[in-house]
Amino acid sequence: MSPRRTPSGGRIDRLRTIRFTFDGTAYTGHQGDTLASALLANGVSLFARSFKYHRPRGVLTAGIDEPNALVTVLRGEVREPNLPATMVEIYDGLVAVSQNRFPSLAYDVSAINQLGGRFLSAGFYYKTFMGPVVGPLKGTRFWMMCEHVIRRAAGLGRAGREPDTARYEKMNAFCDVLVVGSGPAGLAAAREAVASGRRVILAELDALFGGSTNWSGEAIDGEPASAWAGDIIGELKGHKNVRLLKRTTVWGYYDGNTVAALERVSDHKASAAKGAPRHRNWTIRAGKIVLATGAFERPLVFPGNDRPGVMMASAAQRYANQYGVLPGDKIAVFANNDSAYRTAAALNKAGATIAAIVDVRPDISEDCRTLARQCGAELLVGHAVVGTEGGKKLTGIKIAPFTAAAGALPGGGRNIEADCLLMSGGWSPTIHLASQAGARPVWDADLQAFLPPEAGKGWVGAGAFNGVFSTAEAIAEGFAAGRVAADLPAIEIGTLPQIEPAALDPRPAPVFEIRAKGKSFVDFQHDVTSDDVRLAHLEGFVSVEHLKRYTTLGMATDQGKGSNVPGLAIMAEAVGKPIPEVGTTRFRPPFAPVSVGALAGERYGDLKPERLTPMHDWHLENDATMYSAGLWFRPMIYGDPGETVEQAYVREAGTTRETAGIVDVSTLGKIAVQGPDAAEFLDRVYTNIFSTLPVGKARYGLMLREDGIAFDDGTTWRLGVNDFLMTTTTANAGKVMQHLEYFLDVVWPDLKVHLTSVTDQWAGAAIGGPKAREILASCVTGTKVDNEALPFMGIVHGEIAGAPVMICRLSFSGEMAFEVYSGAGHGIHVWEALIEAGKPQGMVPYGLEALGTMRIEKGHVTGAEIDGRTTARDLHLGWMLSKKKPFIGSAMMDREGLIASDRLELVGLISLDNRPLSGGAHIVMEADPENPHGSLGHITAACFSPALGKYIALALVSGGKALHGKRAQVSDPLRNRFGPVEIVSNHFFDPEGKRMHG
Amino acid sequence: MVEQLSPLGQAFRPGSHGNFANGTGVTLSEIAPGSIVQVAAWPGEQKKVMTALATVTGLKLADGAGTGAVSERHAVFGFAPGKFLVTDTSEGLAAALSAKIGIDIGTVTDLSHGRTAIRIDGPKAEWVLGKLFAIDFEPASFPVGSGIATAHHDIFAQIQRSGAERFDLYVFRSFARSFWKMLCHAADEVGYEVA
Repeated sequence: MSPRRTPSGGRIDRLRTIRFTFDGTAYTGHQGDTLASALLANGVSLFARSFKYHRPRGVLTAGIDEPNALVTVLRGEVREPNLPATMVEIYDGLVAVSQNRFPSLAYDVSAINQLGGRFLSAGFYYKTFMGPVVGPLKGTRFWMMCEHVIRRAAGLGRAGREPDTARYEKMNAFCDVLVVGSGPAGLAAAREAVASGRRVILAELDALFGGSTNWSGEAIDGEPASAWAGDIIGELKGHKNVRLLKRTTVWGYYDGNTVAALERVSDHKASAAKGAPRHRNWTIRAGKIVLATGAFERPLVFPGNDRPGVMMASAAQRYANQYGVLPGDKIAVFANNDSAYRTAAALNKAGATIAAIVDVRPDISEDCRTLARQCGAELLVGHAVVGTEGGKKLTGIKIAPFTAAAGALPGGGRNIEADCLLMSGGWSPTIHLASQAGARPVWDADLQAFLPPEAGKGWVGAGAFNGVFSTAEAIAEGFAAGRVAADLPAIEIGTLPQIEPAALDPRPAPVFEIRAKGKSFVDFQHDVTSDDVRLAHLEGFVSVEHLKRYTTLGMATDQGKGSNVPGLAIMAEAVGKPIPEVGTTRFRPPFAPVSVGALAGERYGDLKPERLTPMHDWHLENDATMYSAGLWFRPMIYGDPGETVEQAYVREAGTTRETAGIVDVSTLGKIAVQGPDAAEFLDRVYTNIFSTLPVGKARYGLMLREDGIAFDDGTTWRLGVNDFLMTTTTANAGKVMQHLEYFLDVVWPDLKVHLTSVTDQWAGAAIGGPKAREILASCVTGTKVDNEALPFMGIVHGEIAGAPVMICRLSFSGEMAFEVYSGAGHGIHVWEALIEAGKPQGMVPYGLEALGTMRIEKGHVTGAEIDGRTTARDLHLGWMLSKKKPFIGSAMMDREGLIASDRLELVGLISLDNRPLSGGAHIVMEADPENPHGSLGHITAACFSPALGKYIALALVSGGKALHGKRAQVSDPLRNRFGPVEIVSNHFFDPEGKRMHG
Repeated sequence: MVEQLSPLGQAFRPGSHGNFANGTGVTLSEIAPGSIVQVAAWPGEQKKVMTALATVTGLKLADGAGTGAVSERHAVFGFAPGKFLVTDTSEGLAAALSAKIGIDIGTVTDLSHGRTAIRIDGPKAEWVLGKLFAIDFEPASFPVGSGIATAHHDIFAQIQRSGAERFDLYVFRSFARSFWKMLCHAADEVGYEVA
């Protein structure tokens, strides 16, 4: 038997022993234990070192509000830091370690920080690291020097560097009613909503449904509260219209009654089930939400309130009743309210000695006196704890008479021996989600707590969330809330369940702090003391929002669940204003920390899906080096063994110009433009005319943006009178579709035109070169492909190897070329037939590098030149701007700035030093490597031209055509490339287009 | 006629995969209908288009957004105002529909090669799809026959419930392999058969 495990009782499975380690020491616990309860059962009291002062810390709470006992859980090489030991369920093989200590938890050298406490007060960084105004450490340099030392000394756990191999998942769910919290109120609400037939989700952040019924020790209608809860859970499980989610923290409340909830699917297991995620992040869209999230007990602020062995009263009750663990043998209780008396009774019943009950109130109820008497405790009303004793473990407390009304310590006092001190400073309803939903909390002077305002549009509250602390009333409220949420008429609950023992008075005395000598902690996790709060006030901070940022109160991972109200109360007292006038901080998501993995879901590693052309596998099988173009994957080169990229593309482009080459153009955007107004629509969106295009012909088109800047280009094929196939650049396909849809939907809704993306309907192979027609003719049936049947920009239909194809004679390479379109499902079939037909001629497949090379040689533009800044005229496409009709952009394209003579214009460049040119390099008249200046423009694309045998480039240069024949310099200081170039026409190769026209 | 090649390639791995602790959660398959066709009506002409669809497919649609119907051979559902996705186990549907739907009432677009049809069938189908789409898949909201257009991140998808536990998903062909992999990954947890 562990030293502090009670002989019986609790909701743990005592027949299941679980083995785990903490800081290398082996321990055992039981199924149902948390790491905190199991370590407490083993007599461990020291759990952690504090953030700033490295003070020894024990475990303060039993739940998600734990500020002290943060640990790191190791799974192989993967570290998960900053987990509250109160939320870590133990499993066989669990390895947990303490954090923020060196060399060990028991002997931590940084504990010396405690001595320098007055220098480490609020605003430490702001005051200390201003930096000298002169000297080598001027400005922020001193801070930069100190930063890494401070970061090592202060802080939380260390994140791992190994990749997290766990799976994380997202899940969407819809329901009529979401009930958050499964305590008495939540269960009553869920039962009512489920019975009405509504779709219900019940979310509970703990491993057990039932909330306080697991540890309250109450009886409901004569049976243990946990059995009552178990009955309801059993009943709910019998219904199909409810989903029960345990270990699920609802952490965010967003617009439209959308909430985010984190389900810890596998954290409580040694390993996740096959295929199961570690965490699942739920997005729940709920008709109505019942907030039955309970309340957190507040600490009292007094010197030494952070010593290991000081614990929240309700937490101790939970350890005793739910886990069968006594947090101490000789227990003292310090309270400002009645609830702690019930705790004392519960612990006494579980076997502990209650040494004393210290109550700040001068007078207490007879019920409390009876409880104190029954547990044999010395009752000290009108007293306060003014200090604690012991090192890393509590050995005793100091008490003194206390006048609650004045908050004064008139003097006197004595010591009481105790190994555990339970404190209760009243209760703060867990109103975080309502606050996130936009509700402003309302201060309740009786309960000394912020309550939610009246129910919002999307939610209704119940139980302790509403400041209703008796179980009977919570059940009644839950019943009513369930009916409201299920849209049922309000009715009386009938007979209220009988709760034993009867509820005590929930109103605490308005005492938050005992001002005595010593560090009194308000925010345990961030080591913020009451003196820090007062210091902030003295230094002029009046707003609670500023207080928060200056002291970091409430900004730790527990987000001030226990510290916000005491901190506010101390600030209010310092300012001399009532608490509600000082304000409250509003809560933001997340309610509790959320793993980044869960936010990312499965979208790690490959953030984007892959888009593959029908010929993708063929490219891979034929040694293509692929690269991504947006989401698409396209062949860069089909390299031979030992070839460089340049050698490969020069060979591919050279062979194409010599005989023939074939390239996969399936990625081009393709939009079906259909309808009686399709031609009219195209006339409006293109700068040139399409209504005159005969069926069976294609035309090159240019689109402008509304502001007159060039937008996209491509060919559009007229397949029928009312049926066009528009092609766009690969990169702009989506943008063009949006652009066109916008104009159809918003500007010209009267036009009868339908647009459909058919990019994926077609596989496209462009075959070009002097032998292209011969190769095509050898494999196509059902049509001729000679000049007469298939003139330039003509379209024919036929078959290749039995598959229907549509062939358009157009050219991007400048060669006699054809684009062969087949159904995408026939893509490889047709491609392979073309490859086979090309073999006798030595045709090669070529990739994007060769494609780019040939287009540079021809001076054709792509996205590198249509870059969102250039006009049609800048690119020498002014001839495409129809004067016979208006089109998108025509009204704006002649603006002064767009026709200025000094605009950057497209030119060609030839490297005169026979060295490569690079995109992005500047063009200047005189190169000055020391002081680069005088840019005339920049290179947009560059290659080695096999046709010219030179390094060439396209560039946008001020002056443009006027500079043809002039010598200039390339200036590329980033890559240290300087050298002479000649500015020439962008049409390097076959400017008359003889090869293309045949 | 040349058969269409599946875009799923090596990613299509027939057999059992994932966690079968609770039986087979879903069966995943590619249904490869002979025809997938989009039909779009001009404003005000929707009824005529629906009549034409009924004539060709034998499936009558109820009024309202996202309604649809399925038969052994055909499936039809509305995915946007006046727009329908129609399938046929045989080829030639686009021509048959074009014969009934003149340019005066709407347009017919053949997408037989452009969309890939993936079927998910089994008791965990709603659960698996819930991981990928923010859609309420429960039968009360999404009855048999009904359809919807939605997206999984970058991947546009049209989904029809074709049975009590069965959904047919139509995705762009170029995305199909990536989507299939994601779907298999999502189904790992519940155990899936690829057939």
